[in-house]
This record gives sequence, C-alpha cells and structure tokens, in this order.
Amino acid sequence: MSQVATPPAPERPLPTPTRESQPYWDGLREGRFMLQHCAACGKVRHYPRPVCPHCFSMESEWREASRDGVIHSWTVCHHPFNFFFKQMTPYIVALVDMEAGVRVNAPLRGIAEEDLRIGTRVRMAFEPATRDVTLPCFEPA
Amino acid sequence: MAHGLREKAAISGIGETAYTRGTTKSALALQLEASLAAIADAGLSPRDIDGVIPYFPGGGIAEDFIANFGITDLALSAFVPMGGATCVAALQTAVMAVATGVCRNVLISVGRTGYSGARVSTRLQQFPQFALAAEFEAPIGIFAPAQLYAPGARRHMELYGTRSRHFAEVAVVTRQHAMLNGNVVMNKPLTVEEHQASRMIADPFRLFDCSLESDGGAAVVVSAAEHARDLKKPLVTIMGVAEGHPESPASIAQRPDLLEFGLAKAAPRAYAMAGVGPQDIDVAEIYDCFTFTVINQLELLGFCKKGEGGPFVMDGRIALGGDLPINTHGGLLSQGHVVGLNHVIELTRQLRREAGKAQVAEAEVGLVTGYGDMGDGSLAILRRAA
Repeated sequence: MSQVATPPAPERPLPTPTRESQPYWDGLREGRFMLQHCAACGKVRHYPRPVCPHCFSMESEWREASRDGVIHSWTVCHHPFNFFFKQMTPYIVALVDMEAGVRVNAPLRGIAEEDLRIGTRVRMAFEPATRDVTLPCFEPA
Repeated sequence: MAHGLREKAAISGIGETAYTRGTTKSALALQLEASLAAIADAGLSPRDIDGVIPYFPGGGIAEDFIANFGITDLALSAFVPMGGATCVAALQTAVMAVATGVCRNVLISVGRTGYSGARVSTRLQQFPQFALAAEFEAPIGIFAPAQLYAPGARRHMELYGTRSRHFAEVAVVTRQHAMLNGNVVMNKPLTVEEHQASRMIADPFRLFDCSLESDGGAAVVVSAAEHARDLKKPLVTIMGVAEGHPESPASIAQRPDLLEFGLAKAAPRAYAMAGVGPQDIDVAEIYDCFTFTVINQLELLGFCKKGEGGPFVMDGRIALGGDLPINTHGGLLSQGHVVGLNHVIELTRQLRREAGKAQVAEAEVGLVTGYGDMGDGSLAILRRAA
C-alpha cells in the first residue's frame, strides 16, 4: 500500500511590509492604529506612499488615529478562494470610514449579517496572526 | 472641428479560437491561433503585422510574435496593463500608432488558460497593480475580484434599492444571447430561479453573477482606415476611443465613491471624439466580469441616471429586440473570458452584419467597454462605414 502524504497545512497569506508601510504594521502589533501624515501640509494618506498627493512633499510623520468608524459597505465571503480561509467561511469583511478620514477593510466580529447597515458605528480591534504580524478587525462600538 | 483621430483607424480583422473549459494547448498557442485567424480575416499575411499589443501578463510577448510569424521589422511592442480594461484601451494605443504612420497593422491579442492553468486568485498576485491588495487585503481574506467588487454592489443595493433580481436579469439575458452563438462555454438555458438559487460566492454575488474561468484566444487587427478600405471585409471604423483611471487606482477600499471608476472619465472623452452620444448607440457590448458591473457601467455610460441601472435592465430592454441589446455573443458570463476582446470581436461582427441569429437589425453604431484592474475603464465606439 502506498503511503499517502499528509497535505501541508494551508498557509495564511501575510503582508510583506514595505519601507513606506512598516510603521503601519508596527503600530498594529503594538495595538495602535497608526496613519501616515504629510509633514508639510498635515494631510493624512492611506495606503502609505512616498509622496503627498496634495503638496508633493516627501516628508511624512506617523500619528496614532482614532479606532472609531462607521460602516461604508461590506461583503460576506462564502467561497474561500484560498484554502486557509476555508475553515472561516462565511466571514464578513467590512469597509469602514474611519474618523481619521481614511478607510479600513477588515473582518467584522459580533454583528449578524442581517443587522449590517451603512453607517453602523464600529471600532477597530487587533488580532495577532503570527508573532510578528497583527491584523485589524472590527467590533461593535 | 472633428477630433483628429476620429475614424482614422478601423478594425480590419477579427479571430478567435473555440472557447472551452479544458484545453491541451498553451495560452501562447491559443493566442497565436486566434491571431492567425484575425490576420487571415483581414486578408493580410502575418508578416504585415508591424505592431503588437499582447495582453499581459499571460500568453506571448513581442518576441513570440516575431519568432512565430517571421516579422522582419516590428515597429511597436506595447503592453496596456489595465486588467479587464486592457483590450479596449489597447484600441486607443493602436489608433494612435496607425493614425500617425508609426504602424500599418497593429495586432491586439489574448491567450488564456483561465480554466486549465492558474485560476483567478493565483493569477492576480502576478500583477504589480495588485501589490497593495496583496499587502492590505489578502491577509484579511479578500483575494478575488468577486470579493473586491462586492462592497460596491452592496452599497448600490443599500443606497438605491437595487436587487439581486436585477442582477439575474443580466445573467439570464446574456445566456439567451449565448445560446444563439455556436462558440460558447455555457449553452444551456438559465432561469431567474436558477440564478437566485445558485450558491453565494461573495455577497451579493452568486455563482451566476460571476464570469467564467475558461480557455481560449482572441485577436483583432487595427489598420489605418485608408488601407482597411481595400481589405476583405466591410469597413468598421473606430469613431471614438478612450481609457480612464479612477481615483485610488490600486485600491477600491480607499476610493471616495465606490461606484465611480475609470469609465466615468473615459466615456465623455470617447463620446466627444466620436461625435455621438448614448442615444446614437444601436448595440452595446459591456464588460461583464459581474452582472452588477454591467448595471453600474450602463449608468456611467449615460444610458440611465446613477442608481437607476437595476430597473433599466428589466422588461427586455437589454435583450435582442429591446431598446439597447447588450452582450449579443454571451459575454464573459456565458461565452468565455478572454478579457473582453470577444466583446470587440462581437461588436465588429454586428456592424459587419455577420452576427447570425444574434444580429441587431440595421446596426450602424455600437459601443464596447472594458473594465478591470480595480476600476480602470475604457470605451470604444465603432461605426459601420462600409
């Protein structure tokens, strides 16, 4: 009888931080929602990038932002598309307008699908995925 | 004064392979097979091609066309990296090339093993344009276009009362059209009930709201209109063409309005170049990666107001015999997914009056859109000039 190899556990997709985005991911690991702001004109930008699209300054600074926001829209994922997420389906991913003026896309916990509405208040929380990586999620505010 | 590029170029040749789910051929072989068919359709020799715009990534690159066709002096090798908006946007590049005399005959082509080769969630990771999605969205469980575009559809439903029943109408009408075409993947009838009972992929998208993963190749040749007049087939000119890029082009999540994307910018430019408006369109081939995407684009194209796309598609309006027949070949939803180059081919057939059972009577002017890569858009307006 031939030996059947056990398939490897499905690998979780993880972010590969860039020089621009590293402070964002460092912040999540420390339980803080950090956003990139232009050091010249002060405007926020997300996702992180080298140049301010408003004043073209290349100087930026990171500030901790409010974790509060309201639901802009959402999807409920039934088909996993990736084996790692198969065990989690169906899962809700909410697109949230943050008070800081940017959006965050993250899993939503604690609100049933039938209760989802545009404008519902939620708050960002933090879920460690590995020792090095923490991902955002949302909970009822 | 007329736009300088209006009707300076024509679609001189069209070609496609069988659309299947399952093939032993490579994406390159499918692309070359379709290309040879398009070149023959134009009455040209492969050596007459002096510009190539292959769909990328996947399939061949300029070197493959030189090697396989024995092209001795290729004058243009270009990529138009706009995902599903690529093929129609490539028409703009081709028009510029032939109108300026840089090229005489530009080949736009796609070869794809979307069923037999890498599937969609793997394929997308090869796109540099998806780097932000890979960093910020894949880790939280968002990989595929169905998941990326679903929140826009959901928001449209919440704001305007659009329903899954409207999505079903697009799927069912498209299938009816596919059944009139001999070269389609999906050739059995689809009912509204079957659509509504199909499994959920990413709410609000059900299985039958999603386009096919299929194998196949497609190609068109764009030639200077003055030369195309002497070629084999009725002359179909490019009246207007434009591409458009949305705000926050690499992240839907950060886009101020999820329902405004590249087509909103491309449409006014393409209409102005063509000198026509939505009221002049006899047939429309709309990029249909998802049923809802058709509804959203009909709004951005000016066929109805924002928010009214759902009711607009009902009551036979978009079916053959209706006011605005769309996707008369079966589209990406039912014919096959060759990134919408099949839409360009079908519009050309309609205007040549070669569309068989799906022919729109007296079709004179039609449009074709591209949509993809997180919301890039493109629009071409073609005319029967024969």
